[in-house]
Amino acid sequence: MSSVATKPRLAATAPWVSTAARLVLGGVFLVAGWLKVVDPQSSVAAVRAYRLLPDPVATIVGWGLPFAEIALGILLLAGIATRVAAAVAAVLLVVFMAAVVSAAVRGLSIDCGCFGGGGEVAPGQTAYGIEIVRDLGLLLLAIWLTWHPSSRLALDRFLGRWTGDQH
Amino acid sequence: MVIVIFLVVVVAGGIGFQAWRTSRAPSASPSASVSASPVAITSGRPIALGSAEAPVTITLYEDFHCPHCADFEEQFGPIINQAQQAGTARVELYPMAFIDEGSVAAANAMACAAEAGLGQAYYQGLFANHTLKWSDQQLIDLAAKVGGSASDTFRNCVAQRAHADWVTSVNAAADSNSVSQTPTMLINGKQVDIAALTPEALQTMISDAAQKGTVR
Repeated sequence: MSSVATKPRLAATAPWVSTAARLVLGGVFLVAGWLKVVDPQSSVAAVRAYRLLPDPVATIVGWGLPFAEIALGILLLAGIATRVAAAVAAVLLVVFMAAVVSAAVRGLSIDCGCFGGGGEVAPGQTAYGIEIVRDLGLLLLAIWLTWHPSSRLALDRFLGRWTGDQH
Repeated sequence: MVIVIFLVVVVAGGIGFQAWRTSRAPSASPSASVSASPVAITSGRPIALGSAEAPVTITLYEDFHCPHCADFEEQFGPIINQAQQAGTARVELYPMAFIDEGSVAAANAMACAAEAGLGQAYYQGLFANHTLKWSDQQLIDLAAKVGGSASDTFRNCVAQRAHADWVTSVNAAADSNSVSQTPTMLINGKQVDIAALTPEALQTMISDAAQKGTVR
């Protein structure tokens, strides 16, 4: 982490920005994961609608992804291993956005399934633009957190050595 | 790194949990059987559950793998069931099959069960166990759980998808009736807004329809 030209004000507010980023990102992932966990059929149907993976793989992703989201959500909300959790979240967000872009480009009409539900929808009802903008916003939060994981109200402060964070 | 291992364990555990949840045997659902007589399956026509003389017709378009339909059944099922038992209402069921393969299998099995006189109990059993993927074995097990036994006729009906054409025909009928989402409910031909519905309101609608023949 740079120690050279950080303005004092930035250094003072950065941890609070990180706290907000952590809570928003963690909250969104937790909710998104939870909504999908309760309904395995819809979760799998949502993944299959993208037609990017063979059926057995889509089933495993449909089943497993919500748990990853919940785990990441909990880590971020609690402030444990923030840098790693944020990095993994960033990777997932890039994958999500790539899938949505791929669907849009191929002319598929689907609900992203990001918050449960998902599958085919009527062509006029797709919301790819909004979904991509939302994921982009979350990605920016995740990237910020990877670069600046130190935040307030985080368990990282007590667990530092165990989770690889240096702050 | 510890956290990566943690994530892998959680995801693997989650996958195992969902695999169990969709593949386990169905559990018996508390149900009150309405009709023990076989119901005819006619192309393009819904399954009738309840007395033919009932004054109120409740038309339901539902997919057995649609979570909103399972919620709907949980919330409003008891009231509808009560009306069926009292002879006030007859349900006309269009089993939709658009979510996945399990939807198709369940819709076919529903027709098989109706033919065997197990319709109402089987319908409730399907929604009570809606997280199951609905393999042939699960569908046959369910009949045993709600009807006491699964006859060979029923087994063959399920295994050979005997009513696959009928399933397609009722889905086409739903399409031509402009039904685009599930659950969709009509009382005496008039569509009901389910989003705003409460059990008390539904009860009132059914009673009103029974007295007047229309829905306000």
